Amino acid sequence: MASRKTPAAGDMLQGTLDMLILRTLVMGPAHGHTIAQVIEHTSENALEVEQGSLYPALHRLEDRGLLSSAWGVSENNRKAKFYSLTARGRKHLIAETSRWRQMTRAIGLILGEPAE
Amino acid sequence: MNLHRFTEREKKDADLAEEIESHLAHEQDTNADRGLEPEEARRQARLKFGNPLTVREGVWRYRSLPWVDDIWRDFRFVLRSLAKTPGFAAIAILVIAVGIGANTAVFSVINAVLLKPLSYPDPQSLVQLRNLNPHGSNPGSSVPKFNIWHQQSSVFQYVAGYDQGGAGLNLTGGNDPEQVQGIHVTADYFRLFGAPILAGRTFTAAEDSPNGGHVVVLSYGLWKRRFGGNSKIVGSTIQLEGQPYLVVGVIGRGFVTEPAGDLWLPYQFDLTTQDQAHYFFTAARLKPGVTLPMANAQLKLAADQFRRVYPAGILGPQDSFGVVSLQEAIVGDTRTSLLVLLGAVGLVLLIACANVANLLLIRATARKRELATRAALGAGRGHIIRQLLTESLVISLSGGLLGLILGVVGVRVLLAVGPAGIPRIGEDGSAVTLDSNVLLFTFGVSVITGILFGLLPAIGASHPNITTTLNESSNRSGVGFRSGKLRSLLVISEMALALVLVIGAALLIRTFLKLQAVDPGFETRNVLTMTMAISAPRFQQTLGVAQVIHDGTERLNAIPGVVTSAASCCLPLQGGFGLPFDIVGRPKGSDRWTGGGGYDSVSWSYFDTFKIPIRRGRSFTEHDDGSAPGVVIINEALAKQYWPKGDPLKDRLLIAAGVGPAFADPPRQIIGVVGDVHNGSLEENPFPMMYVPVAQMPDKMTALNSRIAPLWWIIRTQVEPHTLIKPISAALRDVSGGLPVAHVRSMDEIVILTTSRQRFNMLLLTIFGASALLMAAIGIYGVMAYSVQQRTQEIGVRMALGAQVGNIRNMVVRQGMTLALIGVVLGVGGAFWLTHFIAGFLFGVKAWDPMAFIATPLLLSMVALLAVWIPARRATRVDPMTALRFE
Repeated sequence: MASRKTPAAGDMLQGTLDMLILRTLVMGPAHGHTIAQVIEHTSENALEVEQGSLYPALHRLEDRGLLSSAWGVSENNRKAKFYSLTARGRKHLIAETSRWRQMTRAIGLILGEPAE
Repeated sequence: MNLHRFTEREKKDADLAEEIESHLAHEQDTNADRGLEPEEARRQARLKFGNPLTVREGVWRYRSLPWVDDIWRDFRFVLRSLAKTPGFAAIAILVIAVGIGANTAVFSVINAVLLKPLSYPDPQSLVQLRNLNPHGSNPGSSVPKFNIWHQQSSVFQYVAGYDQGGAGLNLTGGNDPEQVQGIHVTADYFRLFGAPILAGRTFTAAEDSPNGGHVVVLSYGLWKRRFGGNSKIVGSTIQLEGQPYLVVGVIGRGFVTEPAGDLWLPYQFDLTTQDQAHYFFTAARLKPGVTLPMANAQLKLAADQFRRVYPAGILGPQDSFGVVSLQEAIVGDTRTSLLVLLGAVGLVLLIACANVANLLLIRATARKRELATRAALGAGRGHIIRQLLTESLVISLSGGLLGLILGVVGVRVLLAVGPAGIPRIGEDGSAVTLDSNVLLFTFGVSVITGILFGLLPAIGASHPNITTTLNESSNRSGVGFRSGKLRSLLVISEMALALVLVIGAALLIRTFLKLQAVDPGFETRNVLTMTMAISAPRFQQTLGVAQVIHDGTERLNAIPGVVTSAASCCLPLQGGFGLPFDIVGRPKGSDRWTGGGGYDSVSWSYFDTFKIPIRRGRSFTEHDDGSAPGVVIINEALAKQYWPKGDPLKDRLLIAAGVGPAFADPPRQIIGVVGDVHNGSLEENPFPMMYVPVAQMPDKMTALNSRIAPLWWIIRTQVEPHTLIKPISAALRDVSGGLPVAHVRSMDEIVILTTSRQRFNMLLLTIFGASALLMAAIGIYGVMAYSVQQRTQEIGVRMALGAQVGNIRNMVVRQGMTLALIGVVLGVGGAFWLTHFIAGFLFGVKAWDPMAFIATPLLLSMVALLAVWIPARRATRVDPMTALRFE
């Protein structure tokens, strides 16, 4: 019965994780383990998350129609579920990225950093 | 989307488990590549992943709909617990079903009569034109009034006159003549009501003017039934009263008039007439944007205009014109009577709720330990309330479903058994149907009911003192003071509500009995009546009507079993025409007429046949015909009013002077005074009456009469009147040249019909009152029986200490009767106030009738005593030894 409210910071983190996943899949379909590794490397380990927390995010994105999935065979010759970006997901990523850029730019201006 | 996620979650979870396994395998591979031992590689992979179960749970929860889960769990729990106590479940559901069934039945009638809009397009803008006077309003229209109303084009889009097809027409041609309802209408009628035209057209203005020819528009029903739905009928002729009528059109299905008609004929008014007779109705469609007050204001001006144009006295200075919505005009005073019934049936449901609430309280007490255990195991208060409410809702919704069936069947049975004379319900209540309104009502009432009877017990049970309850050693944890008090309150209100209902029922029963005891002024037994439509041309003259009455009477009297027979324009108890009169030679001051009264044209044997006593003078004879001097007979009411001391037989009456050319009539000698007859209805006092021989009617009046009303035949028989229907109708058809008869009823049946509204109300309220009484009795019995059971131990101790059997019994009776009597006192108070609402339905009984207000509380107290007596007796049979050992 107990339901914990996710703090606002978590929401932001979740949004960020979603974006990282979508960004990763721009390169092409990948399975969960690959996605986790790519995120780990590209984000310079800034996101210290357990790899498991990736999966709820993947399923949510799939439910929203941003990702699609299919079982396949991995580079290690193992069975794995491959995720790929849908058209909607691609659109969503572009919109989110530009929103993100605008926001960081605005924050930068406020903090007095020179515009890039 | 959500639901889909919810239903697929089992499959998805398995999928996720496999996916996680795959992830771990990949990570293990990676680790192994770095040179780790397989076991260590596996461990590291798991470490990095986190708890797979948490991940799966997270996804699972995200896919679930928490409330659906909870309610489903509660629901299964409730079903189990109800199945364990089938007796409780059955009684509770049945009580609620009776309550909801009664409400559904009454509501389905209200839905058909009051709520469903009229079936015409844009029904809100349809109005009926009325004559307003200081006492109220009535819908009669005369041609001059119609004319003025028709001119008010600033507020009305269409204005049309119509009648209710009273006379009936004989559809002849072919082997099988048939009497049909022909409604006379003016040309705009169909446009006004937006009638769909299936074939042909409706009347033109030329056809709806004097000498417009014989044209007719058929209804869908008649067209299908009689003419086989042949669309070639348009343009051909049919035979009405032996006359050819050109069919110009057929109206589409679904166009229903109130009352229903088979065909329409043009009224063909002579709009220049000064004829002031009121013999039809007028409806209008308001122009878009015109409101009722605007129309009423305009009609007030129209009344002034009318007074300027026509002689003084026709429209009094106090009188005016106005409109009411057509639906209101059709529904009339049925509204109040239906709303009273709804109120009464609502009280029944309240009592049912109180009863079930009581049962639930008792059940909650018995389940105290169970609930306390659940609370101790961590169930929140809200959770327990929700679970108990789910239980009440399961009961009330099951009851509602059963009630729906009961109600739908019940209303059919009721309308079949007691025709109520309710407008708009169609033939035998066929318009009372189960539609979404009724379903929604029943569902809504079920839910509200469930919350109503479930909430109090649920809240009461939801804050148990866990430790004390769990520590109590026995399963008879005593009647908690709180819930005991609550139950007493419920029983008191049940008694009070039941008393209100039973008093209402008693008042209506008394009304009905008083009505039955009214002497109608004539002998109703062994009298058969029937109508004959006489709109054929030969009946437009007095001689033709007199002839058929003469021949018919002769033939009827020859039938074995017939005592006497007569004919008239109207029957007692059904109202009739009224006209003003002057007493020749008596000054009338500034008044236009000396007075007024009912006006019946009757054949010479009318008083004989009805056994109406001749108080003074003589009755009519066959010789009082057109060639004899004009005569009139008055009733005692008229004699008393206008000759309080003098002798009416010396005077002459000039009837309807100046009302219009159709009514021109020389003065008539008063030749007799007859006993009063209830002409309007049994409730109304007999009003002043004039009787004129049919054979002496002015021709023009006969013509008007024949057009708007049928001829009534009245036959007094020696034997059961219905056994003679066949020879009588054969004889009448024979003498009239093949005219059929219709509306064949005995006078006894007509008496029953005229009191059908009262009978219906009485029947319903008696059923409601009786069920309320029964429920209240069960309620008080239940509380006392339970209290005795709970106190077995205490009673045992009392008896062991020497209390007498009588003491114990009196103690229980006293407690029960205290509750009952408080309820009775409150109920009497409530009834004093509430019975004013039914004052309008009462006859010969005051709303605070002492009989009802004394007898009913006595009856209720006796029933309560009986209900209390049984548990009291049981208390006295408690064996002290068993009771004490039980601990």
